[in-house]
Amino acid sequence: MNNKHVAVIGGGIAGMEAASVLARQGLKVTLIEKQANTGGKLNDWDHLFPDFSSPDELVNSLANKTKDSGVNTVCNTEISRIERNGKRFELRANQDVRFFADAVLVASGFNVFDATIKEEYGYGLFGNVITSVDFEKRMKKHGQLHTIQGTAPKRVAIIHCVGSRDAKVGNTYCSKVCCITGIKQAIEISEMLPDCEVFCFYMDLRLYGSKFDSLYLQAQKRHKIQFIRGRLSEAAERADKSIQIKAEDTLQGRPLRMTVDMVILLVGMEPGVSTSQLIQKNQMTVDENGFLKSANMHCARNQSTQEGIFMTGTAICPMAVNETLENARSAATEIIHFFENRRP
Amino acid sequence: MYSDLNQRLKADVRLEEGLQACMNCGICTAICPAAEFYEYDPRSIAITVQSGNEEKIAALLQSDTIWYCGQCMSCKTRCPRNNCPGLIISVLRKLSQETGAFIKSRMGRQQYLIVKTIGANLLQFGYCVHPTSLVPATHPEQGPVWRWIYENMQEVYASVGANLDGDGPGALRKISDKDLDELHQIFEVSGGLKLYQTIEYFSQRKAIELGLTDPNGEADMEKYTQYLLNE
Ligand SMILES: Cc1cc2nc3c(=O)[nH]c(=O)nc-3n(C[C@H](O)[C@H](O)[C@H](O)COP(=O)(O)OP(=O)(O)OC[C@H]3O[C@@H](n4cnc5c(N)ncnc54)[C@H](O)[C@@H]3O)c2cc1C
Ligand code: SF4
Ligand code: SF4
Ligand code: SF4
Repeated sequence: MNNKHVAVIGGGIAGMEAASVLARQGLKVTLIEKQANTGGKLNDWDHLFPDFSSPDELVNSLANKTKDSGVNTVCNTEISRIERNGKRFELRANQDVRFFADAVLVASGFNVFDATIKEEYGYGLFGNVITSVDFEKRMKKHGQLHTIQGTAPKRVAIIHCVGSRDAKVGNTYCSKVCCITGIKQAIEISEMLPDCEVFCFYMDLRLYGSKFDSLYLQAQKRHKIQFIRGRLSEAAERADKSIQIKAEDTLQGRPLRMTVDMVILLVGMEPGVSTSQLIQKNQMTVDENGFLKSANMHCARNQSTQEGIFMTGTAICPMAVNETLENARSAATEIIHFFENRRP
Repeated sequence: MYSDLNQRLKADVRLEEGLQACMNCGICTAICPAAEFYEYDPRSIAITVQSGNEEKIAALLQSDTIWYCGQCMSCKTRCPRNNCPGLIISVLRKLSQETGAFIKSRMGRQQYLIVKTIGANLLQFGYCVHPTSLVPATHPEQGPVWRWIYENMQEVYASVGANLDGDGPGALRKISDKDLDELHQIFEVSGGLKLYQTIEYFSQRKAIELGLTDPNGEADMEKYTQYLLNE
């Protein structure tokens, strides 16, 4: 097994973790990342739910693990093609760069939903409508939240399910991590700006993970975040740049209008675009939501429908960091089994 | 009278289009202009019909609620489940008319006035509203300007380039007998005329129930009309 070579496409946390586990088992591993740095989306996040830990520390420790285990990391290289050649694979990047491998692990991650598609929410039109991704980036860069007028917001509405669970945008699935992201961001705003009122407009609170519900409790008890059960219908900018939002308070059964200084849209996760490019060129298939399809939902989650091609992380479906890392380790195990069971 | 309501609702193709599966999100209510002014909540309409509860559906058919919708179809553009409460309302209204449940509510009873005005205009002129049918005496809400227009109808309409009751093309032109005949046939074949008759039938029963009768004990629909206008 030791002379086998695995190519990992995507140097987000999924690819990094799987690569280091495989390398520690003695396999030759090349980790290929299209960006200048590994770490994927976590490079943009400021703090991680549910423990407010630092994504940078996590990415650094994963980078050290890959380095120490002997993973060959290649950045600034985007794989556009996987070709099977007998039992081996040939991977191609844009600039005529090629990689050869005995197994491929696709860890190409997810795309963030483009909120301009949901026109009625005014993203890209109204300066005080931002996304959860913008929030993370701003907090990371400035450590502060400002309206476009340069003032501290006194009222913020956080909108759940933007680009998820919505047949109108073609995404009927739940993105899973946005409810808890919203609660995390609500707490952060309230800690930063204690006088700011924060409202979460949700349809269902999907707080499935360990410690998620206690964060919800904390948000209500300590931070007085208000949860209103109703999805946003539309947002409109007023003359003073504040935003008027319309929803129904479905528990009261009454339409509700509210004026807020800022709106944060909890954008969902979509299948990665470059994943779809990879798919066009080989026989990997996607599920009904456009994510990579597993050979078996339960017992072969990391196996694609193509022998020798595996996948991991949010290329399979929306997941949080800890699940992504667990999933990466399970992918590594499956690849090791694949080589062990394979007749030479 | 109110049996098999679910089945009868489902038999209407508009329900298939209007209600796939509602997840109670409230987007339709938030966008609905009627919900802003009345005790009206399209979300709960969708949920009630989805529940299939015969009693609750029967209650809806007899209520003012289903008559508040303005059929603007804004809800259709926004529902994340591709439902359309406005279409569900259309189906409920038709069933309310067919079963006679509409006479149980004030808004429902107005159906009679609508059949007698817009319904009759359609078949008589080919227009829902025709200037000659807007008699100032029965339409005081139109005000003095309308009275003046009404009294100088030919000149006013000619001066704005309309072809009121004239042959050939133009706004408010006379609809030919041949076309009116065709319209009549469409109403005949599609069941529209039958629905007019059903609404009249139940309205007459209501008039009798209210004691609005002539010396022979028959429904006096003049009195009933006055009753509705003052209700
Ligand atoms: C707004 C938001 C906030 C979040 N906050 C948290 C949080 O606080 N806590 C938490 O647990 N989770 C959080 N998540 C989820 C977390 O971001 C994901 O679990 C994590 O990013 C998944 O990692 P990944 O490696 O699967 O994908 P990604 O992070 O998307 O990484 C994929 C990598 O693959 C690369 N790539 C893609 N295609 C190619 C190709 N063809 N060739 C080469 N490279 C390629 C990309 O450049 C990228 O670096 C959040 C998600 C969102 C949307
Ligand atoms: S996690 Fe919450 S906000 Fe995100 S799609 Fe699911 S229900 Fe909506
Ligand atoms: S918008 Fe659609 S899913 Fe939401 S409450 Fe209305 S009918 Fe139901
Ligand atoms: S069609 Fe009816 S229910 Fe739908 S938004 Fe318009 S008034 Fe409301």
